Amino acid sequence: MSELEMAAGSGHTIAAHGVAAHATPHALAMEPSPYRVGSGKMAMWLFIIADAATFGACLFVYGFLRLTSPDWVRPFVFSPTIINGMIMTFVLLTSSLTMLGAVLAAKAGRTSSCLNWLGATILLGIIFAVLHLREWSSMIREGWRPFQNPMGGSVQFGAAFFSITGLHLLHVISGVVAIAVIAIGYKRGRFQASNVEVTGLYWHFVDLVWMFVFPLLYLLNSH
Amino acid sequence: MSAAESHQVPGMKFYVMVWIGLLAIVGFEVFLTYRNLPAKTLLTSLLLLSAVEAGLALMYFMHLKYERPRLFWSLIPTLIFVLFMMDHIWADAFRLINLRLPTP
Repeated sequence: MSELEMAAGSGHTIAAHGVAAHATPHALAMEPSPYRVGSGKMAMWLFIIADAATFGACLFVYGFLRLTSPDWVRPFVFSPTIINGMIMTFVLLTSSLTMLGAVLAAKAGRTSSCLNWLGATILLGIIFAVLHLREWSSMIREGWRPFQNPMGGSVQFGAAFFSITGLHLLHVISGVVAIAVIAIGYKRGRFQASNVEVTGLYWHFVDLVWMFVFPLLYLLNSH
Repeated sequence: MSAAESHQVPGMKFYVMVWIGLLAIVGFEVFLTYRNLPAKTLLTSLLLLSAVEAGLALMYFMHLKYERPRLFWSLIPTLIFVLFMMDHIWADAFRLINLRLPTP
């Protein structure tokens, strides 16, 4: 138990162990967290809420653009685009499951198992990004650009599609890098199970956002 | 959600069941898309199904169910309120709809 924890615990402990006088009043003035979560997890939750508002804003703008464009195009067909989207969804959902495996293993102190689960999550994240980039390159070859529509009609489709899926892809790539950093740190003993859990929160959020992106941007634009 | 339930996180078997449920919802979304439903019905159905998916992910995958209830009540209603305000009180939202051009 640290001096600070003892000081926060009770005055008797302080008296008994002779904690440095300067730490005592400050520590006693500290309130326990009303949420009983660590500062890292709380910070991640606040980031997630802010980021959810960002994605929400993007999706609302997409909705408004679509409502106000009389010549909106629906370019996607079941094969290959929707099938590809379903595979991407499967990969991302599965990566959430492997991330949960990593968190459970880390909390149980099974380092090797945790690293395996994290490795699987990284691999699935990379597969998702590759599938996404392959789809993008296919669309770009067809002439799609953020402000160019090869099918005629509203150019806003490309703007909405590339910006929202691009923002999500950026989150996926950032998540893969973050998980890799956490995995290396966890292996070396620099990071704890709580760090794996906080990174997992971010990864599940990326998955959660895709649950709205796939139906709204893919399914509603298919024919 | 009670304080006593805090940190009683389920095992992998339970998570696999949630994962299967989420995949089933995605499959149902695709099925609905090709049922030629009216646009408003399809949009409403997809949004509701996505909200159910998000709820499952938040409560179980992100362990919000196993945290103190006040964490949920501090974060989620606030987010929903912000999103609601964004959608309905956004200055240009209704003006843009009124400016819509007729279909050529």
